[in-house]
Amino acid sequence: MIELQNLSKIYDLGEVKVTGLDDVSFSCEAGEMVSIMGPSGSGKSTMMNILGCLDRPSSGTYLLDGDDVSKLSDDQLARVRNKKLGFVFQSYNLLPKIDALANVELPLIYSGQDHRHERARKALEAVGISNRARHLPPEMSGGEKQRVAIARALINDPVVILADEPTGNLDTTTSHSIMTLLTDLNKKGITVVIVTHEEDIAAYTQRTIHVRDGKITEDKVR
Amino acid sequence: MSIWESIRTALNSIFANKMRSSLTMLGMVIGVCAVVLLVALGQGFQTSITTMFNNLGASALYVSTSSDKTLTTVRPLTLDDANALTDKTLAPSIGIVSPTINKGVTVQNGNNSANVPATGILPVITQIKTYNIDMGRFITDQDVANRASVVVLGWQTEQDLFAGQSPVGQSVRVSGQKYQVIGTIQKLGGMTGDGYILMPLSTMQSKLVGGTNVQSIAVKAVSPDQVDNAIAEITSILNARHFIRPGASSDFTIRDMRETLSSMQSTLAAFSLFMGAVGAISLIVGGIGIMNIMLVSVTERTREIGIRKAIGAKRRDILLQFLIEAAALSLTGGLVGLALAVAGAMAMGHIQLGTTTIVPEISASIVIIALGVSIGTGLLSGTYPAFRAAQLDPIESLRHE
Repeated sequence: MIELQNLSKIYDLGEVKVTGLDDVSFSCEAGEMVSIMGPSGSGKSTMMNILGCLDRPSSGTYLLDGDDVSKLSDDQLARVRNKKLGFVFQSYNLLPKIDALANVELPLIYSGQDHRHERARKALEAVGISNRARHLPPEMSGGEKQRVAIARALINDPVVILADEPTGNLDTTTSHSIMTLLTDLNKKGITVVIVTHEEDIAAYTQRTIHVRDGKITEDKVR
Repeated sequence: MSIWESIRTALNSIFANKMRSSLTMLGMVIGVCAVVLLVALGQGFQTSITTMFNNLGASALYVSTSSDKTLTTVRPLTLDDANALTDKTLAPSIGIVSPTINKGVTVQNGNNSANVPATGILPVITQIKTYNIDMGRFITDQDVANRASVVVLGWQTEQDLFAGQSPVGQSVRVSGQKYQVIGTIQKLGGMTGDGYILMPLSTMQSKLVGGTNVQSIAVKAVSPDQVDNAIAEITSILNARHFIRPGASSDFTIRDMRETLSSMQSTLAAFSLFMGAVGAISLIVGGIGIMNIMLVSVTERTREIGIRKAIGAKRRDILLQFLIEAAALSLTGGLVGLALAVAGAMAMGHIQLGTTTIVPEISASIVIIALGVSIGTGLLSGTYPAFRAAQLDPIESLRHE
């Protein structure tokens, strides 16, 4: 499903070159639930950006769902993000001035699909928040917002859901319910990759990859 | 994303930020309103001046006796000269010939009196100058044939002599002789004023001036492109009748009002253009306002752009969203400005400047131009901010607070 081969990312800041990822290789099968852990500056954000097709590697290959996406143009990457990936962010990243339903519909608009309302409603039902469909994000709690974000990530039937510190802004109880939701989705066959620095959160996943100084230091299956 | 979705997204965003949107529009509202109203006033002024000129017979040629002191013999123009010009074989380009005589007279009705110019005319004059009958009737060919002692009063003269009473059928004294009033003329306004009387040319010749001379012959060509031929025909016919030797100068002059009219019109067009330019400055200021707010908006909405890009918006989608927002804002602003201009023009109605009335004219072309320019300004001022938005890096934008 995801396959990184000798992947490096070097940031050229003019005078200095900073290595984000250094010759990283790993793969993850369809239906896996993986966590990526590491201290700040370890390269886990860089890895998330590349896995999320928001950035391109400096060298190496990234195969997503069998396709090499490491050399695609910006617009081609946008298409991949829209069709194959679902993002869940720490700060939810919902548009504050449109309601939950409209937020969930957004990816469908960018891929020009029909029956958007019905599909968005179904996605909201799937994450158990259809009662808040007509509310604006600022009117919702953190847990509710994250559920809307997960519904948005699900809407285009992605091959992978990428969650970047999905519980970073939530209390323990809500964190637990969000992680349960992600685990349930994973049981239905969706691949989930979670970046976190919390052991508790990583404990929900079957496999944890530790990153430090741009390298994978540990790849542990529970 | 389809263009309709882009439009919908842009409109949603405009409605989601009502305050900012209306402030952005304000510049365009004022700009379009100013351009349309100023040009409408300019055009109204131009029309009123042109109409006034045409009513005064500015499209005609005026033949009068030359005042050149070096000429030894000057033969006055006569009624026969005028009649000669109506010869269709010798003068095929001449359409209307209207000879007139002028003389200052005193008109009396009881104790009321007025010193006014009296003009002896033929009924054909109405095809050169506009006389709108207010009461009674105009002078007819019959009156001319009978040398009838009848007069038609100008509006001011009617007021001076009759002060509100109906003058038709009453008699007045012109230089001591009795005349019957057969009609009155509506107010003309303009430069010549309304203090005058008209009477049949034949009556004027026999009773007031004597002889068969006329002072001026107004000539209208059969069509505007025949005016030069008409001038040539007048010259050759009158030269022959006045025994002017070939090469010698004529003892009459032909005044062509077209030049005066066209120079007047170009002055007025320049005036209109100037008014438009003043308005255009406010339109440019409005455009800069839109660009400014759009730039602020792009910075303010960096995170929104990042989110949209993360979930699959292409560069083109973001570019279109911001461009359409700018165009929609300025078009709406333009429409509101136009509505205000129309309302303003209606509220002004008729503007009286001295004796000239100006009615603001909002023409289809100025409406189309103003709206076109407002969309154009919107697109132009939206391009740079939209381009900036489309170029934003999704990772950076998502981090933006």
